[in-house]
Amino acid sequence: MAVAIEHQSQTVDTSPKGIQVSPGLRASGPVVVLLGLGFLAPLLTVAAYAFATPKSFDAFRSFTLANFAVIFDPANTVWTSFAWSIAYAVATVVLLAIIAYPIAYGLHRLFGKWAGFVSVLFVFPLFVSENVRLYGWVLFFIKNGVLDGALKALGFSGGPELLYTPGAILFGMLYVYLPFMLFPMTLGIAMVPKDLIDAARDLGAGRFMIWREVELPLAMPGILIGMLLTFVLGAGAIAESKILGGQSVITIAQDIEVAFTYAQNWPLGSALALILVVIVSGLALTVLSKLDLDRILGRR
Amino acid sequence: MNLTRRNFMQAVGAAAVAGPMATAGRALAAGREKELNILCWEGYNSAQVLDPFRSSKGATVKAESLTNDPTMINRLRAGETRIWDLINVNNPWARKVMAPAGLIKPLPKAEFEPYFDTMLPQFKSPYRWAMSDDGKDLLGMAQRFGPYSFVVNTDKVSRATAEEQGWALFADPALAGKYGILESDDWNVFGIFMVAGINPFKEHTDAEMKLFSETAEKVFKGAKMVGDIASLNQALVSGEIDLHLTGGTYSVSPARADGYLNLRAVTPLKGPIDGKGGISWIEITSTVNNPDLSPLATEFLKYVQQPEVAHTVAFAEGTFNPVSQMGNKKCFDLFTKDELEAIQWDSLEEEMARSAEYDIVPDYEKALDLMTAAKRLRG
Repeated sequence: MAVAIEHQSQTVDTSPKGIQVSPGLRASGPVVVLLGLGFLAPLLTVAAYAFATPKSFDAFRSFTLANFAVIFDPANTVWTSFAWSIAYAVATVVLLAIIAYPIAYGLHRLFGKWAGFVSVLFVFPLFVSENVRLYGWVLFFIKNGVLDGALKALGFSGGPELLYTPGAILFGMLYVYLPFMLFPMTLGIAMVPKDLIDAARDLGAGRFMIWREVELPLAMPGILIGMLLTFVLGAGAIAESKILGGQSVITIAQDIEVAFTYAQNWPLGSALALILVVIVSGLALTVLSKLDLDRILGRR
Repeated sequence: MNLTRRNFMQAVGAAAVAGPMATAGRALAAGREKELNILCWEGYNSAQVLDPFRSSKGATVKAESLTNDPTMINRLRAGETRIWDLINVNNPWARKVMAPAGLIKPLPKAEFEPYFDTMLPQFKSPYRWAMSDDGKDLLGMAQRFGPYSFVVNTDKVSRATAEEQGWALFADPALAGKYGILESDDWNVFGIFMVAGINPFKEHTDAEMKLFSETAEKVFKGAKMVGDIASLNQALVSGEIDLHLTGGTYSVSPARADGYLNLRAVTPLKGPIDGKGGISWIEITSTVNNPDLSPLATEFLKYVQQPEVAHTVAFAEGTFNPVSQMGNKKCFDLFTKDELEAIQWDSLEEEMARSAEYDIVPDYEKALDLMTAAKRLRG
């Protein structure tokens, strides 16, 4: 301890005019290093691979735009995979916003002592692997499965042919990503002070006007975080199309997987991944910037 | 040197750091004696296979299973030869790719060649796929194998019809929407070539590639689903589909073991590979060209030759398969009637005879690109 103290005072004494490192920066050092190694390094490696010679492992040793040239070649139909993924992500966000809002509202305002129990019901599936839950839905929808079998037993002609269709993929995404929209949204609604609603009512605002002018804007941070989370997860979704959709639609995540596995082309896979990161972060940032977070967060 | 409190503390500090480092260094050098890393297809990574070896050797054995060869070869190419001791992939890779690229090293012939003499007749030494191109080096050991063309529900499409019509079933408009496709894209390249009536294992002309592309579009468009083995078996059992490509003993055996003997791997009677209509695979397990190869690597290869262990490998979790060691009566007698039924032992010999052995497709990348584009047209 004595040595340590001596050492510290020595450092301070000998370099009074050296670079001043704030205590905050020093304290955050370990976290910065950890993030650098665990978060930035893999991203940088993917970026380096994206510019490497096709079908090689020459990341950081070669630089070429050949992988992007292949992707942007008009004859390449990989754009359809990007389009499907973005379309599914947008549809999931819109539908989940509509589905989750009443539930979130109920959790905060209506369910009372049952709110905790209902929350657990939505959290509980998260403890089970996504793949297992999706296989569960396959058993529900499959021919002679739970739905089809039950309907036949009741004298109907059978269940709808939903499995292995694009609709099944959307259903799977709504099911899997519901909690990621619901809980940030619930937090957002919880942020709305009851006094403001009472005040608006006292001043003569109707139910719809209170919702539009008070509740919705004040809950918007939570809603936006939910939308952002859902969109980012949805754009990278793959299990839903593979398990429930029977690959009736090829998503971009699957194209990336094929590039890394069967095609033995890591640079192409990395280039596709990089483009996806740019598109998703670009869209997310554009939407966020348009929405004026300061006003929404009430800082102005 | 004057011993002051400061330099004494520095020395203590240095010793505190250096001590464990030296121990770690020694452990690293000696550790490979008790450490084995296996890159393999599913089955070899099961506790049933690995636990007895772990406890008998007091070793740490790690096995990572993957379900396609290209990824495994890629891992070695990317520099993981320093990590793995054994690699278990399909037959052509050792001889045609990994040995020429220096990714694997030969086995001591005198120790391992005698094992081939106790295997099924087709594996007798020198077994082609276990040997180097010049026939001098033994590159690996053979164990699991099987035919791999397509699978039918014989209640819907009889075995005789399936064998007679072969791959043309998947081009039959009457069966559109009634078949599935396994998501193994490397095998699907073979399968689509076969549906198009083209030998996959040769250089292809532009006209053949065009036909391949058109066939891929038609076959993928007409498929009810593309999925993994479990999904396809489930779809066959439930009646969602009546047949699927590609598939064989490896994929259908778990369903057959569950009692669905109406599901059956089929090998067409004739086809475009020098008259052969089916494709088969044989796994070859090789020692990786690891600069610090674990001595347990060769020990493990000997361990899985034992009749009891070979039987366990054949019926490890996931998929059930014939093994070359069934040529040894002691091993064969361990298989029950139900197990032999699950792996279609009754027709195995004739199906293997009607199958060409898995080989490298020279223009695989081009074919895969065309097939991937064809898949996108499903949506």
